[in-house]
Amino acid sequence: MWYIWDLSILLSTLSLVIMLLLIARRLLQERRGRATAEQRRQVLTALIAFTENRDREALKTVVLAVPAGVAIDAGFEFIALLRGEERDDVLVAFNECGLPARVARQLRKGNIAERIHAAEMLASLGSDDASAHLLAALTQDRSREVRIAAAIALCDLGSLPLLGTALDFIGVAGQRSRRLIELFRRFPRSRFNELAVHASRIDASPFIRAAAIDALARAGGFGFAEFFAGLAGDASPEVAAAALRALGLTGHAQAPAILKRAMENSDWDVRAAAAESAGRLGLPEIAAPLSTLLDDEVWTVRYAAANALRSFGQPGERLLREIASHEVSRSQRTASLILAEGPAL
Amino acid sequence: MIADWSHEVVLAATILSWFIIGAGLAQTTIYLLQLVVAGYALSERPPVARSALLWQRYGDVAPPIALLVPAYNEALNVVESVHSMLALEYPNFEVVVINDGSKDNTLQLLIEAFKLVKFHRPYEEALAHQPIRGLYSSPMTERLFVVDKENGGKADAQNAGINVCRAPLFCVIDGDSILEPDALMRAAQPFIDDPERTIAVGGTIRIANGSRIEAGRVREIHLPRRLLPLFQVVEYLRAFLMARLAWSSINTLMLVSGAFGMFRRAEAVAVGGFTKGSMGEDLDIVIKLHRHMRDTKRKYRIQFIPEPVCWTEAPETLSVLARQRSRWQRGALECFFRYRSMLFNPRYGRVGFLGFGHILVVDVLGPVAEVLGYILIPAFWLLGILSAEYLLAFTALIFTYGVCVSVCSLILEEAELQRFPRARDLAVLTAAAVIENFGYRQLNNFWRVKGWWQFLRGNQGWGEMTRTGLGGAKK
Repeated sequence: MWYIWDLSILLSTLSLVIMLLLIARRLLQERRGRATAEQRRQVLTALIAFTENRDREALKTVVLAVPAGVAIDAGFEFIALLRGEERDDVLVAFNECGLPARVARQLRKGNIAERIHAAEMLASLGSDDASAHLLAALTQDRSREVRIAAAIALCDLGSLPLLGTALDFIGVAGQRSRRLIELFRRFPRSRFNELAVHASRIDASPFIRAAAIDALARAGGFGFAEFFAGLAGDASPEVAAAALRALGLTGHAQAPAILKRAMENSDWDVRAAAAESAGRLGLPEIAAPLSTLLDDEVWTVRYAAANALRSFGQPGERLLREIASHEVSRSQRTASLILAEGPAL
Repeated sequence: MIADWSHEVVLAATILSWFIIGAGLAQTTIYLLQLVVAGYALSERPPVARSALLWQRYGDVAPPIALLVPAYNEALNVVESVHSMLALEYPNFEVVVINDGSKDNTLQLLIEAFKLVKFHRPYEEALAHQPIRGLYSSPMTERLFVVDKENGGKADAQNAGINVCRAPLFCVIDGDSILEPDALMRAAQPFIDDPERTIAVGGTIRIANGSRIEAGRVREIHLPRRLLPLFQVVEYLRAFLMARLAWSSINTLMLVSGAFGMFRRAEAVAVGGFTKGSMGEDLDIVIKLHRHMRDTKRKYRIQFIPEPVCWTEAPETLSVLARQRSRWQRGALECFFRYRSMLFNPRYGRVGFLGFGHILVVDVLGPVAEVLGYILIPAFWLLGILSAEYLLAFTALIFTYGVCVSVCSLILEEAELQRFPRARDLAVLTAAAVIENFGYRQLNNFWRVKGWWQFLRGNQGWGEMTRTGLGGAKK
């Protein structure tokens, strides 16, 4: 039993020694922290002065006089506030000071949080070799979050490889992240066809396909209405629901028939999406199937259907009132609840 | 005859001592392993320092969240708490305060402060709870809803909130807690990174006693000036930074604190919400989620984020702390025995073996073995039944390993997070991490054994939690 005692003394002594060293380190950091705060203040002052006098040399003198890390942090925060020519001028000064090289090093050698931040900074700095560094991160970084950040940065710089290739680099696990929705929403119009191709791929994950449809619906507009109509009957409920919601944004000549069919789908998310889109498009001709959905077993569907009917204006409200006056049933209760929604009288 | 008898006594004492030392050894081994795993997890996933970055990165894709705030006799803090919640930095959230039949003027204060008016809001009656007397909305902000219901306890109030809320995610917090402005954004991160699998996320709770608080925000972090909350700071570091981070990294997190936890609504509804009348409703729902997801063979993650998200007031008196700890112990025992079929059940994989095994060693056997050890081991040694080796081994497990584990938690904190602003704080905490093993730890175990006794007697009372109000912390 002696070893339990001996080991405990050894470990606790060791832990106390390490802690004392950390306290000493912290004391040093506190001293250094004051100097860093002063340097940061100098950089920000120089940046503010630069926006007034555009004296690039004066800015460069200050930036080069402080540690690169301080200049990068303060500079990145500051350029997020700038737009247009002013921003471009600051970026030129930063590039001439060699800050992008330092950020690129952070992209290679930092911890995960630092690498993600470095990818974002490289996109902002927009140096000549930024795309090459980001491409290296997309293809080689071991963290999927960094790879996604690199893909978004590359998209901002207009250098993202083909979507299929980029997604392969991001990896299967990364293809579940909502960050990809952001990537898709940043896609330039000229590359929408890639999103459409990916949204149609039945071997792709439903999440990715739905995200691509959502991005197309938000930015692509009516040009993709036919495409969404085709996907509204997709075997994957997630994809079908996304296509139906997209149809709700773009509209389509066949929308009433498509939505009516979708309201009979076995998946509740598809039924709810169909009801939502019917409400958004204002299609009183499908009031009958919507009123059937007031009896749906899933609350979300019932609520979406009731809301859609209400959005039709007087005809919809009349129908809801009529249902609310019937004998007690699920439909009657849903109609009553939606009619009562709002401040109590 | 006497010789035979003494031989049996020695044998019995030896077996008992081995049980006590074995339980202590198992606990210590678990703690040391947790330290290693947590250290690795922290080094692999350092936190994002600036909240502005989080907003820029996740703001556009952040899912809607409903903040559920059960309030029972919270007149002291409720208005300030709600103000601070409404000022959170998150693009899409609503605050649902559930007045659980308060006997004080909690509801009246809310009505006056936010000019609340009665409102009809259709909602899904997915979970059972005590009747709702009325819903209120505020013309001042569309983010705030107040549910006034008959008293049914915290779990019942949370279930009412789950019914009323419309967001796909909900976050439960205590009415007297203070959230960091970016708390929701940080807690939502796992739901953004892995939306299909993440079903619950817990965040770090920190003790606000002693810190400077203004307008529902922690403006300056200070350590508590009283010894009891200071020891609890070390305890919370151990619990959150070491234990929960370690369990989370192997997807065996068994507890998402009731003071701050974010859940996916669909799964919470599927498991029947919070268990009414449970002493440990936070532990209970996480176990139910594990069971549900494993039973339905779905991939899932229950995660913990080490960033500080929520500040709470720690008890400052022995009597209040004793009640809290006994209640926590009863909660752990209640859940352990309620879901005992999961223990070492291969169907539940690592949750059954590691998660429940941990509860068995640390919460079920741990306090009893340790308190028995305080009495029996020195007695056996004084009576000459056992050698000094046993006494030393027990002393090592209780005191010296205790110091090691507490100080190592602090090392993790300082090496990776550096959330305590001054070197002096670290020195004070290091001293507290040593001293707490001599007296405070023993008291804690005594309260936990008391909790065991109350559990056996079927005592279901929560005990009164006297609060001074966080606004009363250092100004």
